Amino acid sequence: MRHLFLIGHHDLRLFLRNRSSWIWLVVMPLAFVYFMGFANRGPGGPRTTRPLLLVDNRDTGFLGVAFLAELGEQGLEVRLPSHPHSDQARRGIRIPTNFTDTVIAGNQGRVVFFTPGGTDDPSSALIEMRVLRATIALNSHLLEGLGADTDTTPTADALEAVRHREARVRLDARHAGRKPIPTGFNFSLPGILVMYLMMNLLTFGGVTLAWERRSGVLRRMQVHPVTNAALIGGKIYGLLLLAGIQIAVLLLAGRFLFSVNLGDNLLGILAVLAIYAWVAASIGILLGSILRSEDKVVGLCVLVSMVMAALGGCWWPLEIVPETFQFLAHCLPTGWAMDALHQLITFGSDLTAARRPLAALLGFAAVANLAAIRFFRV
Amino acid sequence: MLRVSRLSKSFGTLLAAREVSFEVRAGEIYGLLGPNGAGKTTTLSMICGLLRPDTGDIHVDGTNFWSEPNRAKRILGVAPQDLALYEELTGRENLEFWGRLAGLDRATAVRRAGELLEALALVERAGDLVKNYSGGMKRRINLGAALMHRPRLLLLDEPTVGIDPQARARVVDFIQTLASEGMAILYTTHYLEEAEQLCHRVGILDHGKLHAEGTVAELQQRLGGERFFVIEGRFADANPASWNGFEQRFKILQRTDRQIVAAAMGTRDPSDCLRELLALPVPVENVTLKRPSLNDVFLQLTGREWRD
Repeated sequence: MRHLFLIGHHDLRLFLRNRSSWIWLVVMPLAFVYFMGFANRGPGGPRTTRPLLLVDNRDTGFLGVAFLAELGEQGLEVRLPSHPHSDQARRGIRIPTNFTDTVIAGNQGRVVFFTPGGTDDPSSALIEMRVLRATIALNSHLLEGLGADTDTTPTADALEAVRHREARVRLDARHAGRKPIPTGFNFSLPGILVMYLMMNLLTFGGVTLAWERRSGVLRRMQVHPVTNAALIGGKIYGLLLLAGIQIAVLLLAGRFLFSVNLGDNLLGILAVLAIYAWVAASIGILLGSILRSEDKVVGLCVLVSMVMAALGGCWWPLEIVPETFQFLAHCLPTGWAMDALHQLITFGSDLTAARRPLAALLGFAAVANLAAIRFFRV
Repeated sequence: MLRVSRLSKSFGTLLAAREVSFEVRAGEIYGLLGPNGAGKTTTLSMICGLLRPDTGDIHVDGTNFWSEPNRAKRILGVAPQDLALYEELTGRENLEFWGRLAGLDRATAVRRAGELLEALALVERAGDLVKNYSGGMKRRINLGAALMHRPRLLLLDEPTVGIDPQARARVVDFIQTLASEGMAILYTTHYLEEAEQLCHRVGILDHGKLHAEGTVAELQQRLGGERFFVIEGRFADANPASWNGFEQRFKILQRTDRQIVAAAMGTRDPSDCLRELLALPVPVENVTLKRPSLNDVFLQLTGREWRD
């Protein structure tokens, strides 16, 4: 074990001494998390989507205020023109000056729907639907507040009382049978972490081994009382330490820089990433054993990791690809790692939900490790 | 310290070592000489455990290598021909790493690295990255890395290849110091002059076979005397057998159309030999008296020039 730790710590020191390592360990992955998160941002998860609506409320009565509250209840984030970021809203409504008086008088109040700057927005249909629902809800509350007595004038208190009364009939809609599609940084953080772990461990592991063989360093190690098991184990241990640094940096950046909610299963996430890193490190040692030159190792490692990332669902959600590609993803460690991480990070599940992906990753790790031992040569 | 007995190794149809046997004693520098491809590195690789011999035994300090390989590896120090060093580390860091791999604890490795840097005259550059070292400095660090754990048997594979004469002289001096302290050294080289200067005994290897071994003087004696003659002339149509008594008095070592190299037999005075040669029944342009070198020994043993 002494030699194993010595070789592992020594390799880590060599990796970190190289300045370009930091670019591939930290700078590039963070840039890609931002870029991919930005490119994959959607309307948001169903629980958190609150599209912006600019509301120009010119009414001074209580119905204008009640309508604003109703818009909020229906899942819209209301922005008044005085808000410093009101220009972010892509849709707006204007409540006229005498809206309350007009409605109380029994006439129709005309709320105008408009598009600031004439921009187009994919969430417009959602906003329109929610404005419509808010309008229906306001009318319903008015009718309920008045009851059968159409001569009574509605008051602000009566309307508020109706609004807060428990609904007799309510539609509670949830996702049934299909998982929500991860988007934004929730999607890009696990995807880029999985891709760069594979790329870095393959490349660093493979190149180091190929160079050490070419330069005679591996043969020199073997004239010392060092077993092959300690040598391979040390190499994998060094790569796992490297993976640990990358995982820590990206998870911390994800949490504090990109505000990704990592859920309540940080230990589970770390376990998945550690097993996945073991797979990648073993494949790196295997490629370094099979290929002779460092150039070939770099070329193949980048290619392999890119293909595995794309097919494994690191670049786009697997939910949007055909079934054949979903099957292909699960022939690769990247696909199983993404499955497990989405369960734990995006959907907030506990470790039991990630049992299958974890078992698959362990299988990949065992096979890759045995192959690395079988083909290892000095 | 090292006893190699009937060591053989083949790679497919190529017989890289054929029943090679020799010994290296404590305090002795044994030179294993041979041109490229002679089997030196294969023999060294078997001695240090990188290759397993097909047949034969290796005993290190009285114990069979393969019965206790780790014990043998702790006694051995190996400086490979390749500069097997980490160029991105400093000279000191390289020494410490190889020392720790050889079994030293951190404090001992640090202390020993300091001693060796001083002995190898590298203290001032100890903190520089090895990639910025000259060829000679890299060779010295390569040698130092093999000495970290104070081995009793040192295997040196071409330790002076590719460095300038001044750096070579420094390395050679250092190796002589190690031997004088009792270390057994197996030294492979294809610089014959260096072997003549440095080695107490040499073995001449070619095509995997050890053709002869002994001190340089003993090998020179195998040529029939301490000196021989280089005769230059036109010998294309000459027949030395027809020259009166020539083959009884001289042994031909090499013959070309323009030159005959011959050793005098018996204990005659060189001036008598010169007179006899100048009286040969062929036009002789020049006769040179020469002490036999290891190159001449190699030529006599293998029938080919060292650089062929």
